[in-house]
Amino acid sequence: MSRLWKEFSKGLWTDLPPFKIVLGLCPVLAVTKTADNGFGMGLAVIFVLTLSNVFVSAVRKIIPAKVRIACFIVIAASLVVAVELLMQAYAYPLYQQLGIFVPLIVVNCIILGRAEAFASKNTVLLSAADGFGMGVGFTMSLTFLGGLRELFGYGTLFGSQIMPESFKPFSFMIEAPGAFVCLGIVLAAMNAFTNRQRRKKGLAVLDNPTHDCKTCGICGH
Amino acid sequence: MITSSILVLFGLGFTAAVILAVASKVLYVKEDPRIAQLEDALPGVNCGGCGYAGCAGAANAVVEGKSGSNVCVIGGLDTAKAVAAVMGLEVLEAEPDLAFRDCTGGERAEQLFHYEGAGDCRAQALLYKGSKTCPEGCLGLGTCVAVCPFDAIHMGPEGLPVVDPLACRSCRKCVDACPRNVLSIVSMTERLLHQEEVNDCLAPCRQKCPGQINIPKYIELAGKGDYAGAIHTLRERNPLLLVCGRVCPRPCELDCRRAHVDEPVAINMIKRFVADWELKNNLRLEIPCARETGHKVAVIGGGPAGLSCAYFLRRLGHSPTIFESMPELGGQLRYGIPEYRLPKKDLAWEIQGILDLGIEVHTENKFGVDFTTQSLEKEGFEAFFIGLGAWASGTLRIEGEESEGVLSGTELLTGVGLNAPPEIGPKVLVVGGGNTAIDTARTSIRLGCDVTILYRRTRNEMPANMEEIEGAEDEGVKFIFLTAPTKVITDDNGCATHLECIKMKLGEPDESGRRRPNPVEGSEVRYSADTIVAAIGQKPSLSCFYSEDSDQCPIDFTRWRTVNANPDTLQTTVENVFTGGDLFSGPDLVISAVGAGRRAARSIHYLLTTGEIPVADNILRELIPYTLFKDVDGVINKDRSAMPHLCKGEHRTSTFSEVEGALSEEQLKIETERCLRCGLICYDRDIPLAEIKTTRVGEKVE
Amino acid sequence: MKEFFLLFVSAIFVNNIVLAQYLGNCPFIGTSKKISVAVGMGSAVVFVATMAASITWAVQEYLLDPLGLQYLQTLTFILVIAALVQFVEMFLKKAVPPLYKALGIFLPLITTNCAIMGIAIICQREDFTFGKTVAFSFASGLGFMMALIVLSAIREKIEISRVPKAMQGTPIALIMAGLMSLAFFAFKGMI
Repeated sequence: MSRLWKEFSKGLWTDLPPFKIVLGLCPVLAVTKTADNGFGMGLAVIFVLTLSNVFVSAVRKIIPAKVRIACFIVIAASLVVAVELLMQAYAYPLYQQLGIFVPLIVVNCIILGRAEAFASKNTVLLSAADGFGMGVGFTMSLTFLGGLRELFGYGTLFGSQIMPESFKPFSFMIEAPGAFVCLGIVLAAMNAFTNRQRRKKGLAVLDNPTHDCKTCGICGH
Repeated sequence: MITSSILVLFGLGFTAAVILAVASKVLYVKEDPRIAQLEDALPGVNCGGCGYAGCAGAANAVVEGKSGSNVCVIGGLDTAKAVAAVMGLEVLEAEPDLAFRDCTGGERAEQLFHYEGAGDCRAQALLYKGSKTCPEGCLGLGTCVAVCPFDAIHMGPEGLPVVDPLACRSCRKCVDACPRNVLSIVSMTERLLHQEEVNDCLAPCRQKCPGQINIPKYIELAGKGDYAGAIHTLRERNPLLLVCGRVCPRPCELDCRRAHVDEPVAINMIKRFVADWELKNNLRLEIPCARETGHKVAVIGGGPAGLSCAYFLRRLGHSPTIFESMPELGGQLRYGIPEYRLPKKDLAWEIQGILDLGIEVHTENKFGVDFTTQSLEKEGFEAFFIGLGAWASGTLRIEGEESEGVLSGTELLTGVGLNAPPEIGPKVLVVGGGNTAIDTARTSIRLGCDVTILYRRTRNEMPANMEEIEGAEDEGVKFIFLTAPTKVITDDNGCATHLECIKMKLGEPDESGRRRPNPVEGSEVRYSADTIVAAIGQKPSLSCFYSEDSDQCPIDFTRWRTVNANPDTLQTTVENVFTGGDLFSGPDLVISAVGAGRRAARSIHYLLTTGEIPVADNILRELIPYTLFKDVDGVINKDRSAMPHLCKGEHRTSTFSEVEGALSEEQLKIETERCLRCGLICYDRDIPLAEIKTTRVGEKVE
Repeated sequence: MKEFFLLFVSAIFVNNIVLAQYLGNCPFIGTSKKISVAVGMGSAVVFVATMAASITWAVQEYLLDPLGLQYLQTLTFILVIAALVQFVEMFLKKAVPPLYKALGIFLPLITTNCAIMGIAIICQREDFTFGKTVAFSFASGLGFMMALIVLSAIREKIEISRVPKAMQGTPIALIMAGLMSLAFFAFKGMI
């Protein structure tokens, strides 16, 4: 049980995506105009990530290494089709808001990254915990970023007015440049915070987590 | 709907699979199966540390032979072994590549300005061209420390980066980051191949040495008592330490900065000490060689240039064979330099050490007679080094010089070297002022003759070394200056009896900067002589290049009757024929021949391994002006050790025993401490830097 | 003709695939440390994006639409793209080795590059004709390449400047990308 909790909880802080594991940046930037969108996207990712981890883990012993990645992609793509259909049926406005980023969950590095790095090496239960934890962490991050941008960009939070009347919406925040800068600053703040914590504990300050193709490593090259 | 969905998906999947399967057959590129195996052997993290694009790129490079088993910088020995196993090689614990800091300046190189803001060497170099007075030295801002992915570099107490050899994986990150090229990744091969460049940290002595020896380094090592380290440093540039330690005229000492304080450091005596230390203890320190390449190279001529070329080729992994026309190797070292300056047994010991590396020798094999480059090419030799030396002597160009009793200096010295001295008469006249003239005179003294040297200029203009001239004077050689021969007077049998000469007067300086001697009308004098030795310059003998049936030779010559070659690569007009030594430069120093041998070996190495010979555009051609000081500050006088003499008086002038001796260990300590450990412009002062009021390096404030 | 020109300019500058459409951010940040790598990655994207968009257009037009299976778009597209990338890799290796040497190592990275898939899907959602699909995908690829090269040039300079510890690496790259995006906003007035 403790092992399950450990795998689940690491996604909530120590390996929190996309801040600690810098993966899957496109939806992070694209759909965080509002907290709602971020939350919705997060839910879709939780669904796909958990199930893809479960399926990958289930078939991990029968898949030959050469076609491993292709199989992961097919599994993820099937799940994404399911999500698309579900969203069209039950959350059509959200589906429209998220636009092409719903089908693009297939190519989100986080799905394949977890499949390759964790699910293909661990049992079904642990993989489910890992996928769910990562998904929840991802949702938290997206909601937080969405909330931040919504708050300054529209003056609202989850659609309800928060800022006083006199507040002039800071429309930079909801445009593309705002997305980049905002994510950059949040990442930097996270790094600063982690470094402070480590320094207090007398540990050496680590290098910042970087986004690099080698941290993803899903293409097998 | 469901059926069609499934059909479409399967159809698509199947089509894609079929297309890919067919494509993989049709478009199959015959790939070395080892590439796939190597990709498995490599860690697969694609860190790029090796300099290739990912592990796949590294695997390709290994199969193509561009990289060795040690390609992976992070995998360590296990990965190297795995890679070697795929390639069917064995991992040898060779000398590892390591990051190496060339600059020794640190705090000694004064700060020109102190800039606020730029905290990175690259920014500092980009914005302000650096802050140290030395334009090449370490800036000390620690960019290399920051970029090292393995934490293998830290800043030392002197403000210089220090490399931890255990942690360094030679990934080159620090080399790429350093704007001053202070750091380099050096393997033995690269060190042996390096030609000095103007942005290397070159003390004046190092710039001056024709052999490009890292002089400050070996002095420092010798001073620390690490004689073996000093010998290894010397051997990276010069395989003939015993020889040069005895006969080198030390061009390096001419520009020693210590000369501005008192006298130059006795650089050569330090070299001689460590060389003698190895000889006396008969240590034969191991000389590492690179992995066998299987390339056969013919080295024609076993003199200093040939020996040096063969030695460096062997260390670079090739298989040289030396062809020598004389019965023993050594060339002018054996047959030109007399025993009292260079004992034959020491020379033989040194040559044996070189041959022991695995060099084949064919003596009494004459180029142009017993073999030609064409015949050797048929035997599988891929490149040639021709270092035949300069054995033909200059003639006096006066009446009667064909008479009995007139011979050349080289004839006399070679005869003595072959243990068959020609008959010379009680009274010997030597014409000339170079080292050959002095050698001839001192040899004749030892053969029991009364010797006089005739020279057309004065003592100050003599090209021979001052020690040699003084040695000759000590031994009783008489000198007649400002006199030139005009005619040989013979008796009825055609034997020389007198030499008619004319007095000279010095006029305007000529191109060489020496004052030109002009004859004084009506001042003819006659000197009696039984033997007249003409020691007035040597030149290469080129007849062996022409075969009997044709007078065409594909190799080009200069108008000074030397072989024409590219001075940087020593490549002649024939692509795989290289030259060096006296044959290329005309009569020159041993160390010049040794340096040329290494340069030729470098060119041959590149020609055989890559097909082209790179020449950096900033190689050192002349002394770097800003490194030549008029003055050095803050250095206290320390006297130079005197040259010890091994034998005196009668014993000295009647036998061929060695004259000059080596320093004692205490003298060595003192002498090494006299070295200022110069860099390009920095040097060790005795007075703290803060108390010195210099504005520009090398110039005192009034 | 004018239509195509506008489509071209708009895809490169106004609706730049990374800076305005948020696509392909992972390789945008991940491979923009060195100009040489950026050029390789950029060219690979231009090449594959054009081919992928054309082929997926044909798959949609002649297979999915007639059978009414639009909901399988995601699944079929990723399948087609993955197969295409594999095929291109093999083809280049055999037919144009120099090009393979230049692009080879970037091709596998592209399968999961959302810019490729994104461009293909956008072409479908906008109901482009085949000609427009080719033009748009090619221009978008060029836009990606340009943005990537510009960012890598900036990052090479940032390498040697003093950046606060916490900002080093990805954060400062993201902020630079934001500033670039802001600059590209100016193109909005063009069309």
